Amino acid sequence: MLTDRHRERLLGYALVAPVAIFLVALVAYPFLSAIYLSLTEKVVGYPARFVGFRNYESLFDSARFRIVARNSAIFTGASIVVKLLVGMAMALALHKVVRGNQFIRGILLLPWVIPTVVIALTWKWLLDLFRGLVNVTLIDVGAVTRGVHWLGDPTLAMVSVVMANVWRGFPFFGVSFLAALQTVPQELYDAADVDGAGGWQKFWRITLPSIKGVVAVVTLLSTIVTLNDFNIVFIMTRGGPGAATHIFATYSYELGIMSQRWGLAMAASMASLPLVALLIVGVVRYLHREEE
Amino acid sequence: MLRQATLARCLVLALIMAIVFVPMYWIVVTSFKTGRQILLSQSVYVPRPFTIDNYVYLFEESRFALWIRNSAITATASTLLSLAIGTLGAYALTRLRFPGRRTFGGLVLITYLVPPGLMFIPLYQTFIRLGYTDSLGTLILAYPTFLVPFVTWLLMGFFRSIPRELEEAALVDGATRVQALVRVVLPLAAPGLLAAGLFCFTLSWNEFLYALIFIADDSLKTLPVGLSEFVVSDFAFWGQLMAAATLASLPVIVVYIYLHKYMVQGLTAGAVKG
Repeated sequence: MLTDRHRERLLGYALVAPVAIFLVALVAYPFLSAIYLSLTEKVVGYPARFVGFRNYESLFDSARFRIVARNSAIFTGASIVVKLLVGMAMALALHKVVRGNQFIRGILLLPWVIPTVVIALTWKWLLDLFRGLVNVTLIDVGAVTRGVHWLGDPTLAMVSVVMANVWRGFPFFGVSFLAALQTVPQELYDAADVDGAGGWQKFWRITLPSIKGVVAVVTLLSTIVTLNDFNIVFIMTRGGPGAATHIFATYSYELGIMSQRWGLAMAASMASLPLVALLIVGVVRYLHREEE
Repeated sequence: MLRQATLARCLVLALIMAIVFVPMYWIVVTSFKTGRQILLSQSVYVPRPFTIDNYVYLFEESRFALWIRNSAITATASTLLSLAIGTLGAYALTRLRFPGRRTFGGLVLITYLVPPGLMFIPLYQTFIRLGYTDSLGTLILAYPTFLVPFVTWLLMGFFRSIPRELEEAALVDGATRVQALVRVVLPLAAPGLLAAGLFCFTLSWNEFLYALIFIADDSLKTLPVGLSEFVVSDFAFWGQLMAAATLASLPVIVVYIYLHKYMVQGLTAGAVKG
């Protein structure tokens, strides 16, 4: 005879089993086999051969990979910093607005809702050399005489993909910060007013410390996703010109899908893993702390 | 002083609204231009005369309808699959006591945070080994890898907000756990289930990377992949492309209008990533 407690346990395991089976088969297994494959060399027609860390060695030795790692750092760093700034500006500007707050917030979140592919294509078109809105407008107002090579110049191409990424991502920052701002007790500001604190002081001493948990989680989440972004770069520049905007995911695509060099591709996919793992640990710790 | 601060706030807000608005305006406005207007940069800001030819072209001369069909099938099936699996898991993780429950909850959160940009090559290899690529079924199985952890995590929050007493009352009345789940908890969680389902639909509808890699057959391409292939070596039919972009965005915008209130809650709970 089963006791109620045993029954509860059995039912518990039965109900989480589908989730577990699914995630083991299509997340854990692919992941572990990728780590194994990154230690092998596979040539079509021959069985995979174990080569130890040779794939990682040749990856880290290649100039192209170093460019890719540097680009990923620049792309992620620049995107996150600008998203933080614009998101914070959006939250602070919207915080005390009473009328139309919901509506404005709704409009501002749209970039985060529409398909990333649409966003990337739109930015490619906005920045089109001859007919894009940006160049046409710049010429119309007399800021430049000839169209700017947004996607053709190595530096400007990086600026362009960062712009598109920021446009898509900052509303998430802004809306999260806004929600956090609304939990900061008004009394703190009243007390600061009595003490004669200025706007900046209030921001640094009260606002920021009060919402730093949300700021940290949002920044970590966005760093994980941005570091492994594919869509925006792939569609806008394919990593070009040259390798000027090539980042981790577009590089794995090049090695795996285009060149079929699976061992190297796996190694490239796993190259950012230590960093991603650290960031994930950060998020999980913050979320657990908030739960308690 | 106060006036100045308000003015600054309005300016910042107006600027941000403009930054968000202009690219969206550019999408819609381009979609109503003729090929000639686009080519010669005529009536750049407002198309005069305007045309709906781009939209007609999509349905009459491109595979647009097929892409919509593929996207709709994939998104619907992967959403239903994820909801079914995730709901059971979330219920067990919040309501039933069994050893390993907290660890498992933590692992689900971790899988949720693993980005597709890191997973696509490993997952593709797995599907190759299973001999199951190039089918809508591949995507229907692939999307739940990020949807299931998401649904589970989101619904755990909803289940926690349903008072335990209601369920216990049903148990006292002689219902089994499963009956209590089906008759009491699920109806109460219906708004949460709907929200989770719509989120899943949106995420699947917008998904690009897996669809690009796993599907080679032209007749099985989804909408985002179809859109991306409008651009052929730096040359694009921008009018048609922006018409397609407008139509591709409409369903998710409609969903979003409904979801808006949940979205803000979900965002703050860290349940949605950007």
